[in-house]
Amino acid sequence: MEYLASGFIKAVELLVRGDASTWSAVSATLQASTWSMMVSLLTGLPCGFALGYFDFRFKRQVRTVLDTLLALPTVCVGLLVYALISSRGPMGEFGMLFTLPGIAIGQTILAFPIVTAITASIVENIDHDLKLTLVSLGAGKKDIIATCLWEVRYGILAAAVTAYGRVLTEVGISMMVGGNIKYHTRTITTAIALETNKGMFADGIALGIVLMAIAFGVNLSLSFLRKR
Amino acid sequence: MSTPLYQAHRVRHFYGDKNVLDIEDLTIPAGSIVGLSGPNGSGKTTLLKLLAFAMKPTQGEIRFNGRAEVPLSPRVRSRVTLLTQKPYLLKRSVFDNVAYGLHIRKDTNGLEQRVARALDSVGLDFSQFHQRSWHELSGGEAQRVAMAARLILTPEALLLDEPVASVDSESARLIRRASLAARDEWGCTLIIVSHDLAWLHACSDTRLSIDRGRIFATGEESVFPPPYLRTQDGRLFKDLGNGERILLSPGNGKTAFIQKSRIRIRRPGEDDNGYDNRITARITQMLLEKKSGNVLTTLALDGFSIILSLAPDQVAESGLYPGKQVTTLFHSNDITWR
Repeated sequence: MEYLASGFIKAVELLVRGDASTWSAVSATLQASTWSMMVSLLTGLPCGFALGYFDFRFKRQVRTVLDTLLALPTVCVGLLVYALISSRGPMGEFGMLFTLPGIAIGQTILAFPIVTAITASIVENIDHDLKLTLVSLGAGKKDIIATCLWEVRYGILAAAVTAYGRVLTEVGISMMVGGNIKYHTRTITTAIALETNKGMFADGIALGIVLMAIAFGVNLSLSFLRKR
Repeated sequence: MSTPLYQAHRVRHFYGDKNVLDIEDLTIPAGSIVGLSGPNGSGKTTLLKLLAFAMKPTQGEIRFNGRAEVPLSPRVRSRVTLLTQKPYLLKRSVFDNVAYGLHIRKDTNGLEQRVARALDSVGLDFSQFHQRSWHELSGGEAQRVAMAARLILTPEALLLDEPVASVDSESARLIRRASLAARDEWGCTLIIVSHDLAWLHACSDTRLSIDRGRIFATGEESVFPPPYLRTQDGRLFKDLGNGERILLSPGNGKTAFIQKSRIRIRRPGEDDNGYDNRITARITQMLLEKKSGNVLTTLALDGFSIILSLAPDQVAESGLYPGKQVTTLFHSNDITWR
């Protein structure tokens, strides 16, 4: 257990000293996860609302597929994105393999079903009297959609946080699509895996602390927003 | 003659295969107060939702100010509003709840004063309540906020679905007062669904009852609800379950009804020969009808009731009182079908 304690102390030193490789991994993680979350929220929220609010043919089948995608293995997403963006793939000409945008594409595929499925469930469970109330108060279609989304804002925030948690902690996509290139595409999770394999526990623990701090910060922000 | 506010013609509505509303003709004049009563599941709420243009009838059309309208039509938005028994308040402050309708209409001139006036009309003090959140209100206060949110729109039609059924007596009084003030101040048409017959009879110009999706004029007609049976010789009757049966006229409609003026309560010593229906009933409620001065007397039969408007002299002469058992007399030939 002694090496764990000494690793923890060294981790604090690395963070305080501003170790370049550690902070590079933090930066890469934040960049990739921010892009992927932006895209998945922008696409997943309207899709989730439509899925939960409207009735259409094959709705149940779409839900089943979406629910299945919630358990999508990250290595499968990594494999898929790798095949798409490698030089032989249909998007090979964009040169996104072993780049942060490549990782972001994979993470978007991971987060989209989570945002969509949770939003759809929340919207499905909206009180039936809400729509009746809004119509009674003179709301039009756009007002109804906007107000419904606002009414379930905390649920949507929870969906975003859940998706962010999955994106932040995944290893498979970052490793396969990013290639774990130091100072370039090495994210916190891939760095932890690598450093641990090398026996560098201090670096691994330092990055683990940062990862947990980010997760804690996100949840703290959500809690603050709820209080408001 | 001015155009009625509402005209419904051959309106039918189904939930799946079940026909829950079947209205041949319904006309509601502007500025009137219509009281609507009926048993649970009779179609009252469905009718109000259709009149609020919150949904479209399966068949038929509903005209508003002479024009056939559909849900979310700009001509009915904000002009027709519905208050339900359990109001849904938006997850925001009282002020924002009351101002919501004006915000989406982008009609925000003098907003604070208008919100204050609307809250005041339902007995809520602006300074005390406007910043309160939706979850900081009691049931009665929440209902009054919901009422204020509708009154601020100065609608042409205010539809009230059991608005005072689950609130305290003071909130009920304030909601009733505010709804009548809406009619007096800007000629708002009120359509009120309530089990509170005393209130309905005291304030409404027209009273309708609804049974199994069909509308009857409560003030004039009384319904003998199905099922109906046939005697061995083919005569239609309604079994009352207590050994008595109402003999019905031959007919092929779905529902039997009778003009109330054709029903008599037997006076002491009166000869009832000549009436083929002599039905025992118990008086369950007697209310003074303010407009006519008559006594509204509710007679309970097996599973349904008849409300008769009796002159005070007749009540005194027959010694009628709640709880008394009486005999009603009417001819089967006076029963018609619809």
